[in-house]
Amino acid sequence: MTRDGSKLSGSSATGAQVVVRIRDVKRIYHLGKVEVRALQGINLIVEKGEFLSIMGPSGCGKSTLMHIIGCLDRPSSGHISIDEVDVDELDDNRLADIRNRKVGFVFQTFNLLPKLNAIENVELPLIYAGAGFEERRKKASELLNVVGLNDRMYHRPSELSGGQSQRVAIARALANDPSLILADEPTGNLDSKSGEEIIHLFEELNNRGITLIIVTHDKDIAGHSKRIVRLKDGLVLSDEKIK
Amino acid sequence: MINLLDPFKIAFGSLLSNKLRSLLTTLGVIIGVAAVITLVSMGEGAKSYILGQIGSWGMGANSLVIQPGTGDATIPELTLTYDDAVVLRQKIRHLQYLMPEFVGRGRCIYGKKSYIPSYTMGASADYPLAYKQKAVEGRFFSEADDASRRRVVVIGKTIVNKLFGSYSPIGEKITINGIGFTVIGVLEEKGTLLTNDMDDIALIPGSLSETVLGTNKIWEIFITVEKDDQVAQAIDDIEKILTARHHRVDFHTHTQQGMIDIINNILNAMTGIVSAIAAISLLVGGIGIMNIMLVAVTERTREIGIRKSIGAKQRDIFLQFVFESVLITMSGALIGIIIGTLAAWLIMHFLKMEAVIAWGAAYSACLVAFLVGTFFGVYPAVRASRLDPVEALRYEA
Repeated sequence: MTRDGSKLSGSSATGAQVVVRIRDVKRIYHLGKVEVRALQGINLIVEKGEFLSIMGPSGCGKSTLMHIIGCLDRPSSGHISIDEVDVDELDDNRLADIRNRKVGFVFQTFNLLPKLNAIENVELPLIYAGAGFEERRKKASELLNVVGLNDRMYHRPSELSGGQSQRVAIARALANDPSLILADEPTGNLDSKSGEEIIHLFEELNNRGITLIIVTHDKDIAGHSKRIVRLKDGLVLSDEKIK
Repeated sequence: MINLLDPFKIAFGSLLSNKLRSLLTTLGVIIGVAAVITLVSMGEGAKSYILGQIGSWGMGANSLVIQPGTGDATIPELTLTYDDAVVLRQKIRHLQYLMPEFVGRGRCIYGKKSYIPSYTMGASADYPLAYKQKAVEGRFFSEADDASRRRVVVIGKTIVNKLFGSYSPIGEKITINGIGFTVIGVLEEKGTLLTNDMDDIALIPGSLSETVLGTNKIWEIFITVEKDDQVAQAIDDIEKILTARHHRVDFHTHTQQGMIDIINNILNAMTGIVSAIAAISLLVGGIGIMNIMLVAVTERTREIGIRKSIGAKQRDIFLQFVFESVLITMSGALIGIIIGTLAAWLIMHFLKMEAVIAWGAAYSACLVAFLVGTFFGVYPAVRASRLDPVEALRYEA
């Protein structure tokens, strides 16, 4: 118990289970000779069941923060834990495991594999988790049901609308029952109606107890969440509960 | 436990979705393997044809030949005689057949027709069994005929045509070098071996050679023993018997195994050369595959990023790309084997020989393709597996 933050392990001040704990995280890139200080000391705690929006102008570090929470990237300094596991200390393979089992990604551009149909896309995380064929088919079709796409299971992404594609991506994110869903501008490529539907789907998932973090610059989208964290120049500018 | 089936399926799927490119990529492997399989199949076919020809003349591994002279003179002194053959027949252990060849010239006259066959030969009653050529009409002469010097002759189809036309010659009287003979049999047709008409032959009892052909000297004695492994013992017997009779070594022996060894050596050398060419072709093919795999890794950077973001480990990505490269080369090898076998079959069909499927070469082609695919697939796969997920996700194709 020598490290900062670890003395708080177990629960937050409110007693709820902590899903993400970020302590003084900095991230510095080198683009050629230019040093980019994307994150300059972020502190953040996300509890189970939260619906959090991360907002801020472009270049404020929201994508970098999301990559770090999603274990795609490591902080240059500081500490981060997911479900109380200190992920900044893990090797690449263990990080891949965390991404596979603890985190579900939803991207602005959906990022489905174009040559696989909807159900095969949803099965992918289950394949990497080592699930057998029967098990993952069953799980994937259940999830496509949850997102309302039971009639589109064998369609390829090119045969799906943007909203449908994003639903497939959400089903994929849910495949291994992750501790949190990370969504990066999930409605950015959708018309307003489809965007609205996706947000309602997120609300529904949150009502079932799923922890959600959405990165967005859209105030209306953020308005559906329960807590808004604003970033500026790689620092937390404000952190307010709105519901 | 590592699940290998899923990366295999993923690799297979991505190959199928890019059929034309996969095919072009593996063309080098297809051509290399097809060339080897064609040539080896043809070589094996030719070998089995030649061995079959030898076998059809009775010359299996249980046979040997005694020839006069020490084997280094072009025109040997004819040192073997009818009496030698008689003694050898009595004394060689496990003897099966013994067939001395007294070759001479014999003018055959029937009525007003006269003909000199290519071969007029003194033989033993073992001829039909030793040379696997029986009498199809009438009969061959017996040991008793030979011992009692009966003037009977068995003739080949060519002589029948020259002297008798379409009539049956059995029982007809002819003269050979002025001595009267009765035709008692017609030999089964053998056709042509190299350029020799094997049906242009008249066979008389060996005991009459001296009288009819003016010689009791033997060109060669063909011998078979009961079992292949008794050949060495027979050679031993022959050397003792003949050396004792002649008081010097004025003869030599050949075994058919020696000849088979020579044919095998030639074919093995050919296979070696073909394999070397194939190795170069596979090397070039392998480099082509590595090249395409490197392009594929770049092209599919985003896919790799997506896979990593949902939990693919380095090992998963590595296996996916290595399997792709192995699959592509193995498919190439299989296609090459099929094309090569068909090509060999076609060519041999036109040469009126039978192609032998070169299973050994096919197995080695698969093994080598596997190794080439693995070797040239590793570097691109390592590159793919080490991509940074954030960078990979940002990549715009």
